[in-house]
Amino acid sequence: MLMEAILIALWAGIIGIDLYVGLTHIHRPVVSGLVVGLILGDVTTGLIVGGTLELIWMGMVPLAGAQPPNVVIGGVIGTAFGILSGQDPNVAVGVAIPFAVAVQALITLFFTAFSPVMHKADEYALDANYRGIERINYLGVTILFVFNALIAFLPIYFGASQAATIVETIPEWIIDGLGIAGGILPAIGFAMLLKIMLKKEYVMFMIVGFVLAAYLNMPILAIALIGLSIALYDFYKSKQDPPAPREEEITDGI
Amino acid sequence: MVSNYEYQDPTPSERLNPKQLRMLTFRSLLLQASFNYERMQAAGWLYSILPGLRQAHKNKKDLSKAMKDHMEFFNTHPFLVTFIMGIILAMEQNKEDREAIRGIKVATMGPLGGIGDALFFLTLLPITASIGASLAIEGNILGPIIFVVMFNIIHFGTRFGLMKFGYEAGVSAIAKLKESTQQISRAASIVGLTVVGGLIATYVAFNIDYVWVSGDAELDIQSEVLDAIMPGLLPIAYTLLVYWLLKKGRSPLVLIGLTVVVGLLGSFLGIM
Repeated sequence: MLMEAILIALWAGIIGIDLYVGLTHIHRPVVSGLVVGLILGDVTTGLIVGGTLELIWMGMVPLAGAQPPNVVIGGVIGTAFGILSGQDPNVAVGVAIPFAVAVQALITLFFTAFSPVMHKADEYALDANYRGIERINYLGVTILFVFNALIAFLPIYFGASQAATIVETIPEWIIDGLGIAGGILPAIGFAMLLKIMLKKEYVMFMIVGFVLAAYLNMPILAIALIGLSIALYDFYKSKQDPPAPREEEITDGI
Repeated sequence: MVSNYEYQDPTPSERLNPKQLRMLTFRSLLLQASFNYERMQAAGWLYSILPGLRQAHKNKKDLSKAMKDHMEFFNTHPFLVTFIMGIILAMEQNKEDREAIRGIKVATMGPLGGIGDALFFLTLLPITASIGASLAIEGNILGPIIFVVMFNIIHFGTRFGLMKFGYEAGVSAIAKLKESTQQISRAASIVGLTVVGGLIATYVAFNIDYVWVSGDAELDIQSEVLDAIMPGLLPIAYTLLVYWLLKKGRSPLVLIGLTVVVGLLGSFLGIM
C-alpha cells in the first residue's frame, strides 16, 4: 500500500498545483478517477467513481474568490476510497466531501498566512530584484505541492474511512467561520486599491459603480461600460475647454 | 491627477517580438502561484509580466518603480489575464504615465474577471466536463481524455490569442492617444473607480444570518433591516472601515487577522 499511497500523493501534489497554477483542469475528478484507477489497478471503477464525483463537483467552481469544497482532495480520496472499499460511488462521495470541505478551510488559512510574504515581495520590487519575485512564486507552488501530497497520502495510507470520522470531529463553526471570512476578505484588497487611487474628485464615480451593482445588480462589465461612457464624456469635454482654467484646476488637484 | 513620477529614461523601448509574447503567455500560467488574501494575484501578475517589464525599463530606478506599482492588489480571470498583460506591456514600453497604467489595469481586471467566470467556469467547463463524465461513468477511458483535450484547446487558444491581440491593440491605441496623457490618466481613473465601486458590492460577501423573534413577530435582520436601509450596506461599510484603518497606518495583515476573527466569531455566535 505504501507504493500506491506515494504515487497517489504525487498525483495529488501535481493537480493541487494545477487547481491554481496552470489550470489545465487535469485536477477534475473525471481525470483523477482515471489516474487513481491506473495506480490502484482498477481503471473501470476509477472512471465510474471519478465520473460520478465530476457530476457532483460540476457546479462547484471557484467564482469571485468564493471557494467550493476542494475538488483535488475530494476527487483523489473519493476515487481511492471507492476502489479500495468496493463500495457504491455514492458512499465514496460521502467520504470525499468532509475531506474536501476541511481542506478548503485549510487553504483559506494558507492564503491568509501567505499575505506577510507580500511585504518581502515589496522589498524585492523596490530593489528591482526580479529573482526574488520569482522565488516567492516558486515557493507558493512548492507549498501547494507538499500540502496536497501530504493531505492525500495520510488518509490513503491509514485508511480513508477512519480518517473521515476524525475529520468530522472538527467543529462545524470553525470551518463555516473560515468560509465566511473568505467571503469578506476581498474587502481588504479593494480598500488597498482605494487607498492608492481614491481622490476627492473621484468619489462620485465610485458611488455610481456601487449603486449600479448594489441596487440594480448590474454585472461588472455593464458598470465598466457606464464608467467608460462617463470617462469619454469627460475626456472630450476637457479637450474642448480652453486650456487656461484647466491648468489652474489641475494644480489645485495636486 | 497626473502621477508625480518622472521616468529617468523616458525613451520608448524596443517592441516585444512574437517569441517573447509566447514566453510571457507561458509565464501567465503562474498568475496564482503566490495567491493570498492581501494582494490576491499581485505577485503572480508581476512574475508574469516581469521579462517584458525588464525590457521596457533598462533604468534600475524606473524598473523598481514599475515593479513596486505592479505589486499592488490585482485580481482577474486567469485565462483572460494575457489581454491585460499585452495592453500594460505596450504602455510600459511606451513609458506612459504611471497613473494611466494603473487606471487601465484596474479598469480591465474587474470586467474580465466576470466575463471569464461566465465563459470558462459556467460554460466551457460544464459542457466539456459533462461530456467527459458521461463517457467515464460508462467505463469509457476516452471520457477524461476528450475532456482534457477539448478544454485545453480552447484554454490555450484563448491565452495565446489574447496576448497577441492585447499587445497589438495596446500599441496601436497608444500611438493614437499619445498627446493627451493627462486626460487619459483621468479617464482611466474614472473607469477604474466606477469598477471598484461595483466590485465592492458584487464580490464582498458579508451577510447577517439572524432572525430576531419576539412572540409571533419575526424579523430577518439581513433582508428586512439591512437591505431595507441599503443593499450592500455591510460590504461597503466594512470596506470603508478597512480603508480608514489603512489610512491611519494599520497594517493589512492586522486587518486580515481581524477579518478572520470576525468570520469565526460570526459563525460561533450563529449570526453570520
